[in-house]
Amino acid sequence: MSHDQPRDSSSESDHDHEPHGGIGQYVVVFICLCGLTALSFGVAISPIMKTPSIGWAVMMAISCAKAMLVILFFMHLLWEANWKYVLTIPAAMMSVFLVCMLVPDVGKRVDHYSQERWLHAAEPHQESPTAEVEVHHDEDASESEHDHHEK
Amino acid sequence: MANHESDEHAGHGHLQLEYQPALPLTLGKTIIWLFLSTEIMFFAALIGMYIVIRFGAPTGTWPLPEDVHLVEQIGAFNTFVLICSSVTIVLCLEAVKVGKPGLAKVWLLLTLVLGSVFLGVKAYEYKSKFDHGIYPAKPRSLIHEKPDIYYVAAVRDNLTQQIEGLDAQIKDGNASPENEDRREFCNTLLLGAVNWAEREAADNTKSNAQRQDAIVQLARVVLGPGHHHGEAHSHDHPFAEAMKREREVVEQALKPVAEEFQKLQGQQGSNEDKSQKDSSEDNGDAPAQPAESPPSALKQRTDALRIEKTRLEDRVAATYKLAELKHGINEDHNLRLPMVIPSGNMWASTYFFLTGFHAIHVLVGLIVFAIGLCLQLTPKRAGFIENIGLYWHFVDLVWIFLFPLLYLF
Repeated sequence: MSHDQPRDSSSESDHDHEPHGGIGQYVVVFICLCGLTALSFGVAISPIMKTPSIGWAVMMAISCAKAMLVILFFMHLLWEANWKYVLTIPAAMMSVFLVCMLVPDVGKRVDHYSQERWLHAAEPHQESPTAEVEVHHDEDASESEHDHHEK
Repeated sequence: MANHESDEHAGHGHLQLEYQPALPLTLGKTIIWLFLSTEIMFFAALIGMYIVIRFGAPTGTWPLPEDVHLVEQIGAFNTFVLICSSVTIVLCLEAVKVGKPGLAKVWLLLTLVLGSVFLGVKAYEYKSKFDHGIYPAKPRSLIHEKPDIYYVAAVRDNLTQQIEGLDAQIKDGNASPENEDRREFCNTLLLGAVNWAEREAADNTKSNAQRQDAIVQLARVVLGPGHHHGEAHSHDHPFAEAMKREREVVEQALKPVAEEFQKLQGQQGSNEDKSQKDSSEDNGDAPAQPAESPPSALKQRTDALRIEKTRLEDRVAATYKLAELKHGINEDHNLRLPMVIPSGNMWASTYFFLTGFHAIHVLVGLIVFAIGLCLQLTPKRAGFIENIGLYWHFVDLVWIFLFPLLYLF
């Protein structure tokens, strides 16, 4: 193991040998992980969050990058043989499939709420009562109209 | 050298022909990876469920971290702790491989300590949720989804109970000034804010909007001003302005009521004097009977005015108290009243579900580390350390996704 240190720069070339990165590489990965955490924190408090969807996408991308760093280097998957695909790809596919299965049922549940259900459902925060009151009033009106149509 | 290598190669090839394993791995590693691939699906389902529920919630209702007392810095700190522990466990593996059991134990102990720190911080976070009445389920949870009459009724019940509790304490001789103050505040609140809101909401001479407004205002003073991205509250007393305006309106309504009440009371007083005089002259109750109807109407009116006057005065008193609030009644006075957090119940359920399962995994990891600390970490144990390391990295991996999803979104 004493020859780890010179190896880590050329880790690509020695796939089939003892999987190793060396301590220096771990430190680099650690710094990257901390940096990426700080970056996603920075995104959360930056003006990007004014359009939240962009902020969310960026933060998820950062998380994926962090996850890849952990998987490839700490879990040594970078140096493993091809069996790694047998285990990870089906699991990943199942995960995505699972989430997709939830969308029509749970994700779109609000589309199918009954009138009674809406009576007890959450409503957005009302920042200044007097300003919001008008909006609320309108909603009430449109809802009752909608109700009328249904009947 | 070349000869030796080719020999080894041939021998290796020969062996492969006879005992080729399904995967070029040790049994333990195969199993831990199989386990991890099921864990990937398990947490993908949990996280996917969270994402789907969160983005499927009625538009604009998902609580912001500030609404549910979630501190991003604490989450970031915990992320850092877990990343550090991932590094220490990987360094432990390196130390085991090069045959330094002492050093390996130090790294393993450090991992154990870091994992415990993570759980400690988690416990602290849970405690702060519980202190604010945020529980995953109903009997203890104080979260209401919307400001409606059920909400006001819940606040009234809760406040009445608290007043009764304080009364009992004061009766038991625990009449500290604190308790007295608290009781007085609760009473003012009950009369001037809760009962007021309930009456306003029931007043069908008012528009729907005004009736709703009364409840919304109650919800806001209980929980404090709403939090929104990028919005800073410039002044210390967010309700001072609104309460001042409210007080002016109420005082204006109070003035004619008080004047009329004064006048009628005077009239009633003189009438009573007169009737008393009459009765004293006649030496009996009977003559009061025919003359009853006009004073009775007067009395009714006076009583109605008295009630109206007390009601308005209670409201004025409450506006003074509410104007002093900084972060809402619950925060400033530690009252634990029911609060309106739209989608807050779903938030609490998913939060405790996700972080709870993650914490259980951390706990299991800690137990395994403790077992590892009791073993001789010779190079023979490298496989064991590698496997628990893989598990631990996976736990870290889950947190990498949970942190932005729960704290930063």
